[in-house]
Amino acid sequence: MKLSRSWLQDYVDLSEVTADDISRAITFLGFEVEQVVHTGAPHFELVVAGRILTREKHPNADKLSVCTVDVGPAHGGVRTIVCGAPNCDAGNHVPVALPGAVLPGDFVIKEAKVRGQASSGMMCSAKELTLADDAQGLLLLNGEPAPGTPLNALLPPGDVVFDIEITPNRPDALSHLGVARELAAWFGKELRYPAVSFTPAAISSDPRPDLLASVRILAETDCPLYTATVVTGVKIGPSPDWLQRRLAAVGLRPINNVVDAGNYVMLEYGQPVHAFDAARLAGAEIIVRPAAEGEKITTLDGKERALAAGLLVIADAQKPVVVAGVMGSAEAGVSATTTDLVLEVACFRRQAVRAASKRLGLASDSSYRYERGVDAHSLDEAAHRFIDLILAHAGGAIAGPIHRVGGFAPWEREITVTPAFINEKLGFEIPAEKMRAALESLELVVTREEPTEARGPAWTFSIPSWRDDLDRPIDLVEEVVRLHGTEKIPSSVITAPGLVGDDDPIVWFNRRVAAALVGQGFHECVNYTLRPAAEVAAWTPPAQVAALALANPFVEDQSHLRSSLIGGLLESLRLNQSRGVAASRLFETGRVFLERDGQLSECVAAAFVLAEETGERSWRPREAADFYTAKRHAATLAALAGIELERQPTALVAAPAPGWQTGHAATAGDIRHGWTSTFGLVDLAHLKALGITGKVYAGFFAIVSEKVTADSDRRGYKPFSLQPAALRDLALVVPAATPAVEVQKAVAKHARAATGPTFALESVELFDLYTGKGVPENHKSLAYALTFRASDRTLTDDEVNTAFTKVQADLTAAGFQIRK
Amino acid sequence: MQDQLAALLAKAAAELPALATRPDFEAAKARFVGPNGELTALMKQMGTVPKEQKPAVGKLINEAKTTLQSHLDAALSRLEAAELAARLGPAIDPTLPSPDRAPGTFHPLTLVREEMTRILRKVGFTVVEGPEVETEYYCFDALNTPADHPARDAQDTFYLPASARFGNVSKKTPGERYLLRTHTSSVQIRTMLKGKPPIRIVSPGRVYRRDTTDATHSANFHQLECLYVDKNVTVRDLKALLDYIFASLLGKETKTRFRPHYFGYTEPSFEVDLSATHLPKVNKPWIEIGGCGMVDPVVFQDVGYDPEIWSGYAFGMGLERLAMLLYGIDDIRYFYQNDVRFLRQFA
Repeated sequence: MKLSRSWLQDYVDLSEVTADDISRAITFLGFEVEQVVHTGAPHFELVVAGRILTREKHPNADKLSVCTVDVGPAHGGVRTIVCGAPNCDAGNHVPVALPGAVLPGDFVIKEAKVRGQASSGMMCSAKELTLADDAQGLLLLNGEPAPGTPLNALLPPGDVVFDIEITPNRPDALSHLGVARELAAWFGKELRYPAVSFTPAAISSDPRPDLLASVRILAETDCPLYTATVVTGVKIGPSPDWLQRRLAAVGLRPINNVVDAGNYVMLEYGQPVHAFDAARLAGAEIIVRPAAEGEKITTLDGKERALAAGLLVIADAQKPVVVAGVMGSAEAGVSATTTDLVLEVACFRRQAVRAASKRLGLASDSSYRYERGVDAHSLDEAAHRFIDLILAHAGGAIAGPIHRVGGFAPWEREITVTPAFINEKLGFEIPAEKMRAALESLELVVTREEPTEARGPAWTFSIPSWRDDLDRPIDLVEEVVRLHGTEKIPSSVITAPGLVGDDDPIVWFNRRVAAALVGQGFHECVNYTLRPAAEVAAWTPPAQVAALALANPFVEDQSHLRSSLIGGLLESLRLNQSRGVAASRLFETGRVFLERDGQLSECVAAAFVLAEETGERSWRPREAADFYTAKRHAATLAALAGIELERQPTALVAAPAPGWQTGHAATAGDIRHGWTSTFGLVDLAHLKALGITGKVYAGFFAIVSEKVTADSDRRGYKPFSLQPAALRDLALVVPAATPAVEVQKAVAKHARAATGPTFALESVELFDLYTGKGVPENHKSLAYALTFRASDRTLTDDEVNTAFTKVQADLTAAGFQIRK
Repeated sequence: MQDQLAALLAKAAAELPALATRPDFEAAKARFVGPNGELTALMKQMGTVPKEQKPAVGKLINEAKTTLQSHLDAALSRLEAAELAARLGPAIDPTLPSPDRAPGTFHPLTLVREEMTRILRKVGFTVVEGPEVETEYYCFDALNTPADHPARDAQDTFYLPASARFGNVSKKTPGERYLLRTHTSSVQIRTMLKGKPPIRIVSPGRVYRRDTTDATHSANFHQLECLYVDKNVTVRDLKALLDYIFASLLGKETKTRFRPHYFGYTEPSFEVDLSATHLPKVNKPWIEIGGCGMVDPVVFQDVGYDPEIWSGYAFGMGLERLAMLLYGIDDIRYFYQNDVRFLRQFA
């Protein structure tokens, strides 16, 4: 909201306060100052109107003149002034800066000699006074002002406009009077209310029931009070200059003396008002009612709008003429030919105005104030002020008593508070008398003061009707600290009584993932949670995509919640590739949304992408990444959530999974059981469509957020043998499609069974995978290293051989072919 | 005999140092000391030596044998050293770059978040997490934001369709809608409902606003919020926390100041300004950095805490904004592009 300094001056005397200090006061009263704009001429000291009496050529300079100038008896009468301007002709009225004046740019005027000729002041151009950017010669003053008249008296007054943001709790400050009240409290000044001269008792002229006979409210909840005043015989014309200037200063275009008066009252009191042309109202009744579906109104902005059923309107006998509290119709508005007025000043429920404004997509200064709350108990005063301004500027007479329909109980609110309470909440001491003075400066009045046993006086304050935000003792704490000055809140050393707790397990999971993957050369990324539908479709089962859509996306490419982190990481990879930046390993941790049993679950997730080609050229190339690289990192992610991926059933990703390359990606776990992991090669066609070159492997791990748990209990120590091991190698030929894990399990099972009670199989490790010569077609050879060890002795060859022979016999019996 | 031995030793001393390969060495060794070697042949002549000369000749032979062996040993170690050198190749150039992958990097938002939580940990704040999909109750109602408040508009807040169902985000009332949280304050409510005071938590996390993305706005960004609930918590304590945080983060010369403000869930409420002109790209005496205030009694009532007994403060700020300030970053979008040249700068 814009505030004019000169306007504020009407209500509080800030003539001695600089604009900077006002700005600062507004800031520390709790309203952010967004901009301060100085308009008009600056204040000039010792710059007055002068009349040039004579002009003669300077004896020592071609381009200079020596003039005698009358600057008025108060400033020494006639002075001699040397001037270089072409238009310093006798008879001209010009501004004269007298010795001692300081012109913009800190240019001090002194008694001087110019080329040997005494000069007692300076005649000024508009540019020298910063009244114009450019000037030819002296500024000529119109109207033959009396010599000695201060220049400022001849110029339109300057102003300072503060553009400030009013917090939603302070609708009372959406007016000059409201902010003036705050400033008066801050600077310890008196608040001067506008002098309202109208009184209902003073109405002398007869009613005009032909213009307005009655007001009827058919929506009492939404409109608790409506007042209408008939004014006849007005003359529409421009508002006085000062009023036009004020409106223009705060950004409102002056229209005419009636509309301007309405805007003026709104900006003065914060109470929106409206004026109808009485001649354009059909019938003689104003009806406040809900609109019928489809009713139309062409609002002042020239747009025809269809109303929805229930929107609150002010209507005449035939049609809506105002969307209540939002905007009036062009038709019933005031025009140049208007002579009779109906002035509306009403109270509308904020929700009703908000609903209409929202529904119509139409906001106005009026709706803005109603939505935030207008003080209904100041309504009559604003109405009287409105009438005053109309009569003063547009003439006319009030016809009959004010129609006043509805009403409510008088405002009454009290809050009892003790200074001790306030000091306890603040944690530092403000003297009781200062507190009381601060609250009283905001027009809170002490109605009772009672001593309490241990807490000093208990003050009961009556709260003014415009401060609906003050309801509890704590609210008065804020008022006190606000006026005390929040800058003065003392610093102190933080005290932290011990509270024992640990960070959430999810936090630890994310930290460990980041540490592990950063250690493996991955760069951590952060991508948007909201993704385009096409990307989500690549990483989500088709039936589940729709559930991830937002009801009200803002932009098309951010329409869905993410179900995977890989889409974002691929986008980051693409961006780096397109910028020619080598990036081969990226990861992210964050929330994803996965469907479980027909419902979405918010899950904690981590994912990585790794490009087979690093994009970096190297003088000594290293082995390229492959599926098993991805598997290793996927296992790391799972392990950090307490899951041993190698022990989990792992299968190829089943179609349809458009993001993954068929036959080259695997999955383990199931989100229905709490977690899932998928890893492998990203679908090559998908990569191509994204514009990514080269193979990219990826891994994804997600766990339902509530299943991320703190570290499990410490594991117990298991003794280990210090005896030497016995090693045997064993190769099996199996069909190519047999999963290696099945063969390994069989070897381990039989090897474990074949050892006696006194020694054991320690490990089975795959050390070779072979196809080719010596192995039948469509078969493969898997070679395992078996390690045996006893806990108490060195094993003899005999006993190991016996066991190993049995392992081979058992495997053969189980259908495996031993490769000799 | 003596002459023969001397000749043999001289020959060995001449030949052995010249040997270049191990097979040559083995052949030479056989030639001198093998079963058919020259020394062996001389030793076999012992039988022909007169008995009284035998001790002296035996001694000569032993000495020659020892000397010969030392020649052989020397030759062998010389060859071994040469072999080792051949296997190692020439000396490395220590200035060549390592072709192995360097460690990755932490995202600057992670670094800033971790730095903040570390600072807060020292004064007892522990990190809590909460869902990013929230309900109207936790995001608004419980925070004293009434149903008709503009912040709840579909114009400003992302909503899920009425049909959306979440298995692990609990609703307080059956009719309320799911939305993307607009602030991390919802975590305060969940924490207070779950636990008992005293409480001292920090909740960093993602939040969402229906905002046009530009250099300073992003549809999702990160906040960090502190909540402290205890007996006799005061405005002065809140100021002490802010002073502590920013002196720890930015140095002792940093100052904070409060300006009165309005938030539905705190009373009194303040905006926090920071004076940190020593930072890069800071050209204003005061920079707005966050909002704070004393927890409103209404919020306590809503979570079942008696406001006559419990008091507390809350403080919240944007992590991107802080990171931009700390590092002198001038465009919030860089955080979400993940250009590796950007990411590498902060680790």
